Amino acid sequence: MTQPVLDVRDLRVVFDTDDGTVRAVDGLSFALGRGETLGIVGESGSGKSVTSLAVMGLIPRPAGRIASGSIHYGGEDLLAASPRRLREIRGRRIAMIFQDPMTALNPFLTVGEQLTEMTRLHLKHSARQARDHAVAMLEQVGIPGAGRRVDDYPHQFSGGMRQRVMIAMALSCDPEILIADEPTTALDVTIQAQILELLKQLRRDRGMSIILITHDLGVVANACQRVLVMYGGRIVEEAAAGALFEQPRHPYTEGLLRSIPRWDGHSTELLRAIEGQPPNMAHPPSGCAFHPRCPYQLPRCSSESPSLTPRDASGDGGSKACFVDLATIAAVAAPAASTAAGSAPH
Amino acid sequence: MVEVAGRAVGSKGEASVAGNTPITTSGRTAPLLSVRDLKVHFPGRGGWWTRRSVIRAVDGVSFDIRAGETLGLVGESGCGKSTTARAIVGLVRPTSGEVWLNGARIDGLSDAAMRPHRATVQMIFQDPFASLNPRLTVGATITEPMTILGLHSPKDRQFEALRLMRLVGLDPRFLNRYPHEFSGGQRQRVGIARALAVQPKLIVCDEPISALDVSIQAQVINLLMDLQQKLGLAYLFIAHDLAVVRHIARRVGVMYLGRIVEMADSSELFAHPRHPYSEALLSAAPLPDPARERVRQRIVLEGEVPSPDRVYAGCPFADRCRRVESDCRATPPRLEGGNHQVACFHADS
Ligand SMILES: Nc1ncnc2c1ncn2[C@@H]1O[C@H](COP(=O)(O)OP(=O)(O)O)[C@@H](O)[C@H]1O
Ligand SMILES: Nc1ncnc2c1ncn2[C@@H]1O[C@H](COP(=O)(O)OP(=O)(O)O)[C@@H](O)[C@H]1O
Ligand SMILES: [Mg+2]
Ligand SMILES: [Mg+2]
Repeated sequence: MTQPVLDVRDLRVVFDTDDGTVRAVDGLSFALGRGETLGIVGESGSGKSVTSLAVMGLIPRPAGRIASGSIHYGGEDLLAASPRRLREIRGRRIAMIFQDPMTALNPFLTVGEQLTEMTRLHLKHSARQARDHAVAMLEQVGIPGAGRRVDDYPHQFSGGMRQRVMIAMALSCDPEILIADEPTTALDVTIQAQILELLKQLRRDRGMSIILITHDLGVVANACQRVLVMYGGRIVEEAAAGALFEQPRHPYTEGLLRSIPRWDGHSTELLRAIEGQPPNMAHPPSGCAFHPRCPYQLPRCSSESPSLTPRDASGDGGSKACFVDLATIAAVAAPAASTAAGSAPH
Repeated sequence: MVEVAGRAVGSKGEASVAGNTPITTSGRTAPLLSVRDLKVHFPGRGGWWTRRSVIRAVDGVSFDIRAGETLGLVGESGCGKSTTARAIVGLVRPTSGEVWLNGARIDGLSDAAMRPHRATVQMIFQDPFASLNPRLTVGATITEPMTILGLHSPKDRQFEALRLMRLVGLDPRFLNRYPHEFSGGQRQRVGIARALAVQPKLIVCDEPISALDVSIQAQVINLLMDLQQKLGLAYLFIAHDLAVVRHIARRVGVMYLGRIVEMADSSELFAHPRHPYSEALLSAAPLPDPARERVRQRIVLEGEVPSPDRVYAGCPFADRCRRVESDCRATPPRLEGGNHQVACFHADS
């Protein structure tokens, strides 16, 4: 990997809920390389959004709290930074695109007002400069008639266009790092393709570093160089995209890849579903969180939690958190497909 | 459970249940479902000083589904998939056109007249959270349609509910639990069991897996395909995930602005799309394969799907089409061809 721009070490985030303490992110470490697009995939509730909120300093209080860890940006630990310093960094150096644009856009302000607010604060633009810049940003994300539409309110835009407005906002101060949390999940594939193309262009032209959170393995294959797979608040596998898709080394990753059909007609008889249900993180399974659903589980999987180890002997091919060696098992019979849910309600 | 049908403009009165079935072109058995030139128009924006626009949600859709067969419908949001589905099951009144189910005409029927047909066609929805009554136990949810249609004795309904729960992979011990105690995938199973309660021949599935976690989607797809084999069910399967439709459907129709622009066998359509819109749609859909993704060429569609209240003299896709020629704007192309039908004057051959 290239020089890291962001280095997350042993991050733990907990939430106090009626159901008990939820360990939403449970000892997460990863680095984001300069000019890299890092994908984060995983079951819903596996801690993807909480990880990005932690980086942005936006964990909701008092329910949530960072229990331990560090997030280094440049020489500085963001978790130790003052609120003032965080405000300087947020939007200016590290920006975020949320899944639902309406959480990030103010319905009572025109998109121009919202875009100029950012650049006047961070880039000290004059009113004139800020407005020109806002129009240029809207043009860059492909909004037709940007000069006119800058005075429209968020609700006057369609879903796809609103998403672009939010992307324009995130990009308006030319951040070094962009965190995109399911940026295309609510969009149609043709719009998704346009937005993925835009992200690639930003990486290429400006060397932007991007964290792309998604549950769509096609999006990962299209846009990411490296991938983290999360399950139950932890990384279960991390590898270069090509290696991960060709040779998954964690049973959850393998299960995901086998459970999705392909529209190009590659092997589509019976999908091998992952049995059972995602874990309830207020009462996570003992040992490895995936063990109740794992076709390869060993006796120790229910009591011991595997830590991340190299995926292969050379040690530079990523890592996985699993006691089972899928490389040697691959030759043996694959687990049976199933349609049964079986397990109890949560 | 019966939803109030949205009033469509220009909706005609109740159609009588005619005795004759539509003529089939092939010599094969009559289809289970026939949809003929279906149109559903809604009143659009506009006030007393301007002419009210008309939203052509569905604008001339025709297809057949045979017993035991799956037809997939794909297309971007707003192209009229859900409205087509709702018109078929009688949740919205067609503006014109015909819907034939098992030889009986069912479009525009009143709730009472539609009731006997409810045993033939059922629907499952995208959101298993919203489509189940939170105050009914799983058992009551599944037996309710039997009660409405007067199927089985009250005691047998319980047995039937237990049998259906086993059939869809739910533990029968959960008979008296409430929907909120279940995960999304399990709730969708409850929805499927409920649809099966009246022993339908056709289930209209509107985005049945879109709200589910990726790891759960395959469970539900496998269940639907398994039930089809066991019970000989036919599905109208709507989804925006092309790969899922390719997997589950034998035939697939691609919709754009309320019309079917291409229809073919699933394997044929995905391997050789002929309509420029289908080509663009497929080229935009990523494959879970980094090596393929690196070399794939994309056909970039400019802009977004236009508003469905516009009236077109010619092909509605012409403005965004890379193969547009002058004849495209003069007359609308019709869906034509043998087994692989395309509505395009310049379709790829
Ligand atoms: N504000 C909150 N209060 C309580 N629990 C939360 C909150 N936000 C997230 N969680 C919990 O943290 C876990 C991780 O959530 P999240 O990061 O949103 O998952 P995802 O991977 O789907 O983005 C989940 O179990 C979720 O219920
Ligand atoms: N009850 C209604 N009143 C007015 N417009 C509607 C109504 N239902 C659907 N529409 C419009 O009809 C078009 C088709 O919608 P829909 O069938 O839901 O599309 P899809 O399911 O393909 O996303 C959209 O433009 C939608 O806004
Ligand atoms: Mg999330
Ligand atoms: Mg719909």
